[in-house]
Formats: sequence, structure tokens, C-alpha cells
Amino acid sequence: MADAGTDTAAGTAGDEAADAPEVDEARQGVLATLADALGDALLDSHIAPGHALWVRVDRDAWVATAEAAKFRLGCTFFDYLSAIDWMPSPWGRYEDAEVGVGPTPFDHDAAFETGVAGGDTRFQIMCRLANVRRHTEPHLNVVVKADLPDDDLRVASLVPLYAGANWHERECWEMFGITFDGHPGLRHLYLPGAFEGHPLRKDFPLLARLVKPWPGIVDVEPMPGEPESGDGAGAGDDATAGEEAPE
Amino acid sequence: MGLVESGKLPKPLTSLLNTARKYSLWAYQWGLACCAIEMGAAFASPRYDVMRLGVIPLPASPRQADVVVISGTVTDKMVPAIKRLYEQMADPKYVISMGSCTNCGGPYWDSYSVTKGVDQVVPVDVYIPGCPPRPEALLEGIVLLQQRIGREDMAERWRGDPLVVQ
Repeated sequence: MADAGTDTAAGTAGDEAADAPEVDEARQGVLATLADALGDALLDSHIAPGHALWVRVDRDAWVATAEAAKFRLGCTFFDYLSAIDWMPSPWGRYEDAEVGVGPTPFDHDAAFETGVAGGDTRFQIMCRLANVRRHTEPHLNVVVKADLPDDDLRVASLVPLYAGANWHERECWEMFGITFDGHPGLRHLYLPGAFEGHPLRKDFPLLARLVKPWPGIVDVEPMPGEPESGDGAGAGDDATAGEEAPE
Repeated sequence: MGLVESGKLPKPLTSLLNTARKYSLWAYQWGLACCAIEMGAAFASPRYDVMRLGVIPLPASPRQADVVVISGTVTDKMVPAIKRLYEQMADPKYVISMGSCTNCGGPYWDSYSVTKGVDQVVPVDVYIPGCPPRPEALLEGIVLLQQRIGREDMAERWRGDPLVVQ
């Protein structure tokens, strides 16, 4: 991966990012190495040329992927580990939500959006590994994702490979309720010891929101260039539109 | 302090003691978030010069402090530490709650981790609104606290019962 030819190609790709290079030979080489190491366990991948590489792997190959990245790609730097809850917010848009509206149950059959490299489950775990010895641009790094089935939120720990994964996995455990097998000590990191629930899950209820709708809506002014309406009902609509416009 | 405990203190003596106390406030800095920057500006910079009000902002421990300025976002995990800080301070002790987060949760009013007002934990003497308040606001809060101390009846405050934090 560190041979001169690949480096040159990668550097050129980075320089011409404005011209939208469609081929990123360096990252395709990384992907080929991972595919060679993992075989069928590599489910999906996505390359943003000159920018990043995502791979989605089978949960059982989670550690094997990290091993391949560490020992075959030289990704000795553990950047971060976290999880994503792809569930659409069951509370609706808080700005419009009425007081006391409970969550709508998650429909497992309905389509929901997942990010690059796809996904089939509500929870995805992800980590980013980087090779920091390579001083050429772009930095060689890979984002690894894995799907976790709802009824079995557990995955093997990366702590034996990367000591730095320890606190990331503790945070992920308390915030999402994902168990890491083989972790040396899954204890609360940020939350008080007696905390119940997993606050970064989409269906975690924020009690303050249940008893009071979002009060900031009254402060929202129309965006510049939008007409200000005179009547009260129209003002409410404008406020909503103004809220959406920055997205 | 036999006079104080007797419940009757001559008024001139009360006035003298209160004046002495209010112009030698040792303020413990309990900076938790961005308000601490403003607190630092008010307490540590020559521009605002809090020492001209008689406030000494650098006690070595809570046991030396007369007033604690709690500035910033109080989280549920921080609450035990604040309780302990308050219990460590010697009576008479005062609390200034600085900033919206400390007053009521502020922009984190719906958070799962932020305490919605430090007054749920310790009694607060002066609330300073703002997000964050300017250093002048903190100075005004200190002046208000000094006025309050100046009006205090010491015998009324100390009947020998320690303040208990629930």
C-alpha cells in the first residue's frame, strides 16, 4: 500500500479534487486488501474519491477487519468508535410536536434511510482506523461499519487490538446499550452509575419535551428574503418554514 | 461568639461585623462550562478588578470560602460533588448561581444529563441571568450579595443549627 506508485496517484487525486476525480487508486487498493482478507464478510463499500473509504462488514468479522486494517494496512491509530441509531425519530419533529405525544413504535419492515455503504438494521456500529505513519496526502484511513440485529446488540471488543477502544466502547455501551464481548470492564463512563436507559437511542424519552413543547419556536423569525405575513396563522407557517430553510 | 448565640446582638456590632464580612468575601470559583470564562474575566483580570469590591477569588479550598460561584452547566453526575463542596464550606456560606444553565438548565432544558437548576441541590442566594452573563453582571451579583450580607441579622442566621442540604 505504501509503494511510490500508489502514493503518486493518491496525491494527484487529492490535488484535483475540484475536478471530481472518479478513480481513487489508493483507496481501491485498500479495499482490495480488505476484500482479500475478509472475503464474503465484506458486505458493502463506498469510496469518496480523494476523501474517504467506508466498508460494511459482517458483525462476526468485526475484529478480523480491524486486524486486517492494523496488520495489513498499517492502521495503527484508532480514531473513534461509535454507533448509529438509524431509527427515524419516533417523536416527530419536536418543534411541531404536541404535549404528551408518546413515541410511535419502530416499524421493522418499513424502509428507513441508512448512510453510505448501506445497512439493514436499526443499529450500526462504526469505527475509524487510520494509518498515521504515511505522511502523504490523503491520509490512509478506513471507516468500518457493522450491522447489529435489534434482538442481539453485541459485538466483539476491539480492546485487545486497540487499547484506545476501551473508553469508546464504554461510552457506546452506556449510550446505545451495545454490549462488547471481551471488554475488560464495561462501566458507566459519562452517566451517573444509577442512570437507566440509553440516551442516544432515538426512542429515549426526553421528559421535559413531553410536558412542554419546544419553546424556541416563538423566537423563529422568517429567513431574509421571505415575505412576512400579517395574519397570525400565516406567521406560524412562516416560522415553520424558516425553521426548515437552513437545513 | 457568645453574643451571637445568645440571640441578641447590639445593632452597632451587627453592622460592624456585617461590614467586615461583606468586604472580605472569599469566593470559590466553581467553573463548569463557558460561563467560567466570564467568571475568570471578572475575577482574574485587571479590567474588572473584583478585588476592589473586597472579593478575594482565590481561596485554597472550599473550607476557606465564604461564597461559591457556580458557573456553567451542572450535570446530574456533578451534583454529588457540588453537595460535597457546599458541605465543606464553613458557615456563613453563600452561593451565587451564574448563567442560565446553572439557574434552570438553560439551553439544555430538555437534556437527559443536565440538572435543571442548581437550586435543586444547594440553596442559592443570588441568581445571575445570561448566557453567559457579562463580567459586569457577575460584579452586580456580588454587590447584591454584599447588600444582602449587610442587612443580615447574624443572630437570626446562626441559631446554632447547621444548614442541612437535603
